[in-house]
Amino acid sequence: MLSRVADNLYWMSRYIERAEGMSRMIQVHQSLALEYAGNDQQLEEFWQPVLKSICTDQVHLEAEGFRKIGKTLIFSDTYSNSIRSCISMARENARMVRDQLSEELWLELNNIYLLFRDGGAEKLYEQGSDHLLDRIARFSLVFQGLSDATIPHGEGWRFLSLGKYLERTDQTSRMLDTLNLRSKAPSRADLMSVLRCCIALSAFRLQFRGNLSLQNVANFLLFSEDFPRSIRFCLRAIDHSLHTISGFPSGAFSNEAERLTGSALAMVNFTSWEQVVEKGLHQTLDELQVTLIEIGQRVFETYVLLPSEIKSLGEIDSVQLAQAQQQQ
Amino acid sequence: MNPHSQFKNYSVDHFFDEMFIDKEGKNPRLHYERIFKRLDSLTESEISERRQQADTSFLEHGITFTVYGEEGGTERIFPFDPIPRVIPESEWSVVERGLRQRIIALNLFLNDIYHDGKIIKDGVIPEEIIRSSKNFRPEMAGFEPPQEVYAHICGTDLIRDDQGNYLVLEDNARCPSGASYLLENREIIKRAFPQTFGGMSVRPVEAYPDLLLRTLEHLSPRKSQKPVCVLLTPGVYNSAYFEHTFLARQMGIEIVEGKDLVSIDSFVYMRTTRGLVQVDVIYRRLDDDFLDPLVFRKDSMLGVPGLMDAYLRGNVALANAVGTGVADDKVTYAYVPDMIKYYLDEDAILPNVPTYLCWRDTDRSHVLENLQNLVVKAANESGGYGMLIGNQSTAKEREEFAQLIKSNPREYIAQPIISLSRHPTFCEEGIQGRHVDLRPFILYGEDVEIVPGGLTRVALKKGSLVVNSSQGGGSKDTWVLKDF
Repeated sequence: MLSRVADNLYWMSRYIERAEGMSRMIQVHQSLALEYAGNDQQLEEFWQPVLKSICTDQVHLEAEGFRKIGKTLIFSDTYSNSIRSCISMARENARMVRDQLSEELWLELNNIYLLFRDGGAEKLYEQGSDHLLDRIARFSLVFQGLSDATIPHGEGWRFLSLGKYLERTDQTSRMLDTLNLRSKAPSRADLMSVLRCCIALSAFRLQFRGNLSLQNVANFLLFSEDFPRSIRFCLRAIDHSLHTISGFPSGAFSNEAERLTGSALAMVNFTSWEQVVEKGLHQTLDELQVTLIEIGQRVFETYVLLPSEIKSLGEIDSVQLAQAQQQQ
Repeated sequence: MNPHSQFKNYSVDHFFDEMFIDKEGKNPRLHYERIFKRLDSLTESEISERRQQADTSFLEHGITFTVYGEEGGTERIFPFDPIPRVIPESEWSVVERGLRQRIIALNLFLNDIYHDGKIIKDGVIPEEIIRSSKNFRPEMAGFEPPQEVYAHICGTDLIRDDQGNYLVLEDNARCPSGASYLLENREIIKRAFPQTFGGMSVRPVEAYPDLLLRTLEHLSPRKSQKPVCVLLTPGVYNSAYFEHTFLARQMGIEIVEGKDLVSIDSFVYMRTTRGLVQVDVIYRRLDDDFLDPLVFRKDSMLGVPGLMDAYLRGNVALANAVGTGVADDKVTYAYVPDMIKYYLDEDAILPNVPTYLCWRDTDRSHVLENLQNLVVKAANESGGYGMLIGNQSTAKEREEFAQLIKSNPREYIAQPIISLSRHPTFCEEGIQGRHVDLRPFILYGEDVEIVPGGLTRVALKKGSLVVNSSQGGGSKDTWVLKDF
């Protein structure tokens, strides 16, 4: 497969996953904000840690005011992680690899793009923001279903998977991290919201009943063996994709991306909750996020750049370089 | 005629109408009878519904082109008119022979001028004209392209005059586009008018991608079972990007950008996740100027450094060859009938439009005195740019063109204003006559292959003679009918 095609598929998938995560994050926090915030001061205090966790250019977003923060996060043309931007970027990447996609996949993505381009998204939003946010989250899920059901599970599909799970690991870790960034100990509503952002509420209840505590929520999102949005599950999926692509047996490594993923996976496999507490949950998540960024870069170096170009990173085409940097 | 017919106000005026034989627009030609009856029975809303369906389908499937000039380029659909253009086989077979004759002569000409230049020595075409053509490539002198063919893919634009005679308006021998619309239009029309289509023996067009792939594979320098062919695109922001992905997908070959290819030791490779893979044939949708920054434009980011070297050593084939642009220069065009006579000793089956060459003193003074009655064209522009239509121009525009002609006579030609034939077309005001042309696609691999018909382009603006998509043109499906 062409290196650029692999790169386009990877990014298309990441952007779609990101749009889905953003839509759920906005939906959950808009509703949570109602409980927290009466005046503007409180509203700001509520949104600050959330924005900080998703690492956005706060100054820019704040300029629009916190009353409109949801709308800004959805529609902003200038904020590169707004849902509109994510959808555009996903579609731009898809246009470059249409031969790899089924017609059904393309139609699904292009329709959501046209919804944003032709003003339909604003109309839905005016009817109630949930109409639009649900539509986006559902689009992503349909897209995933279609990519499983309508395209060959070959190399290209593995790159889709890689992009999706890297993005998802990142999101779960960031949502969990919001609990560390609040000035007060997380309330029950805070914990519920984090679970909701990760569509983990029902799965959590199955395991822990109603026993809602920071320890249980963090345990679940970090270590769950079989919940498809837990960090452990996602890292295992990344590990599997990487080894299927390279053909190198799991448990060893043939490139840096595999080595980093393997060791991050080992970390979650062999770390106890007590050790997390000892290091600090925030510190643990922070280190994980740094590793994820590095895995993305190493994938790019391994499969997209020629060996000669890795050493002279300064000379390669600026677009490629920019793409290598797109990791939030 | 049905009293609510969409044709009840139809007027042929003084033009040649593709559908109607009489001036009143009541009696369709024999080969249009069935489609006329069908259209006649439809209400306005039924027709507009079909068009709406087609437009939505184009938009959703991303069948779009990019218009430059607006901020960052805007994606638009190429408007589709649901009333098909019909050509009887008896007429088409003549056109086909004419196109075949023309592409053979053009290729003999290219081979000649990049070798001995016999046609120049024998005084048929002035050397001056060829040397001064913007797209003449001295780098190609003495080079033997595979099978001695230069223009493998050619789009020749045909028009019909007020008597219905087919005339060649221009050849596109560099990177002709539009084949994807020809194929998509057929798919759409089958869905919009299934019964009408089904009842007639319309010659199929879907073989085009296979024929194109065979043409490309035929050029491979390595005689392997499965040569590696790629389509080289300028990238996602190019106006014809949809067509590039469409054709690559239909042929099952990779679509690559310049940065996906590298040239090492005079061979070309593509960069894959498994390392480098040697490339045999490049169907390039990139102008000569941008192919290789080491040889042509140094600032081109779109090409591949070292590509020309690999090409000239015969390690990779290009379709079309480098330097074909000299054959579709509008000044060279004027000599094509002479070429046909010179190389094939035949008369041109498809005549040219009479052409004045402004570098000739007598022609130039005639042109300057008659600007109002002529179409003036820049010799090396396309897409309907760089053009003056005398009777639709202002005095100021004519003055500007007069200056351009005087300062650079080589680069301008002029032709009488031809009343292009018209075709019933669905407009805001109901069905009306609009001017059309026809772009057949000619493939020259092992043999010459032409899919029946071609892309009919239609000037949707009332009275307009410009059919280019960048200038408000649309397109129609084109049916060649076997039994007529």
